[in-house]
Amino acid sequence: MWRLTPGQALACREWQGEYVLYNDLSGDTHLLAEDAVLLLLAVQRMPQDAAALAANLNADYPEANLSADEVAVLLAQLQSLSLVEHEAC
Amino acid sequence: MLTVSALSRPELGRRLAHGGILLRTGSFVTSVISPIPHLADGIALLYADYPLAEPGGFADFHLHFEQGAGLRRWFRPQVHFNYDGLAPFDPLPVDQVFPMFEWTMNWCVSSRAHRYLLIHAAVVEKDSVAVVLPAPPGSGKSTLCAALVCSGWRLLSDELALVRLGSGELVPLPRPVSLKNASIGVLRGFAPQAVFSREVADTVKGTIAHMKPPADSIARAAEPARPAYIVFPKYEAGAAPRLAPIAPARAFMRVAENAFNYSVLGAEGFHALAGLIEASQCFDFSYSKLDDAIAQFAALARRAP
Repeated sequence: MWRLTPGQALACREWQGEYVLYNDLSGDTHLLAEDAVLLLLAVQRMPQDAAALAANLNADYPEANLSADEVAVLLAQLQSLSLVEHEAC
Repeated sequence: MLTVSALSRPELGRRLAHGGILLRTGSFVTSVISPIPHLADGIALLYADYPLAEPGGFADFHLHFEQGAGLRRWFRPQVHFNYDGLAPFDPLPVDQVFPMFEWTMNWCVSSRAHRYLLIHAAVVEKDSVAVVLPAPPGSGKSTLCAALVCSGWRLLSDELALVRLGSGELVPLPRPVSLKNASIGVLRGFAPQAVFSREVADTVKGTIAHMKPPADSIARAAEPARPAYIVFPKYEAGAAPRLAPIAPARAFMRVAENAFNYSVLGAEGFHALAGLIEASQCFDFSYSKLDDAIAQFAALARRAP
């Protein structure tokens, strides 16, 4: 089960399809693509596993067209930034 | 209001040596104490139009420059800088006291004034169109800034863009423009009417001279400006002038890299910078001739929304 790391508020701004996002825990700012931000927002709405997140993301945003494996890779990258964390069910 | 020019040079020297002066630059007041004649000379020349606050009043910063004691009084004399009783920097040759004064004035603001988002950038304004020029050292930022203010643009700052948290306004801090090495001769040729300080050689940045800001920029130091453009200047020998748009999110990251206190401010800094980006069109600008650059900036001012 993936969830947002406690303390992250996901303050972000979008311009021309690119996002900047403030990391409340590290103080860093990240330049992110739309897929990553949509995934973060999906995790924020409801903690889920990668397969469920991919299914929900593709249902809400068909243009995302992400496989569960691609979502898993994205989640690992976001985890390395302390934006999301994985907890055993 | 009393300005530095109201004091004769001997009186300025006497006040600096005994009790100091309260020098008002933009929204800051700095107490300056020093018996060193080179510093009084520089202040008399370049700060003549600046207001002095009432003696005994509040000062944001307290600076004390004095000559070293002992053998150092005669052998390679040095200047020591004292800030609120602390000595944050190594002493420098006494000949470098005026550049040291300018650097410490910048340091005071960049390390303390956290009611602003502080960006290492020049800011100029014309016809209510303000342009922020962030750039690392060596990009030609100060040279371009000096040329612009000698061509009718108002100087808000050569070194520190102050973005007021909340309103997003650019708050002026007009102070002498720092020029290095070949730029000094370039500006002397471009603006022979401008006033320059004595050149100081062999500093850590090479040869340094400062250019006096236009009196109008100092008189309007309480008048903030709204950002319209962020332009990253880059001097390239032989290059034709070229203005290339930057995607806003990319510009955000680059401006953040040039901010002094972005991390200190946390989420507040993020929102302040986002506001600046949203208010501005962002460009890379490469140039080799100042006249080309002036023409390009005039065009930017005309087409501003």
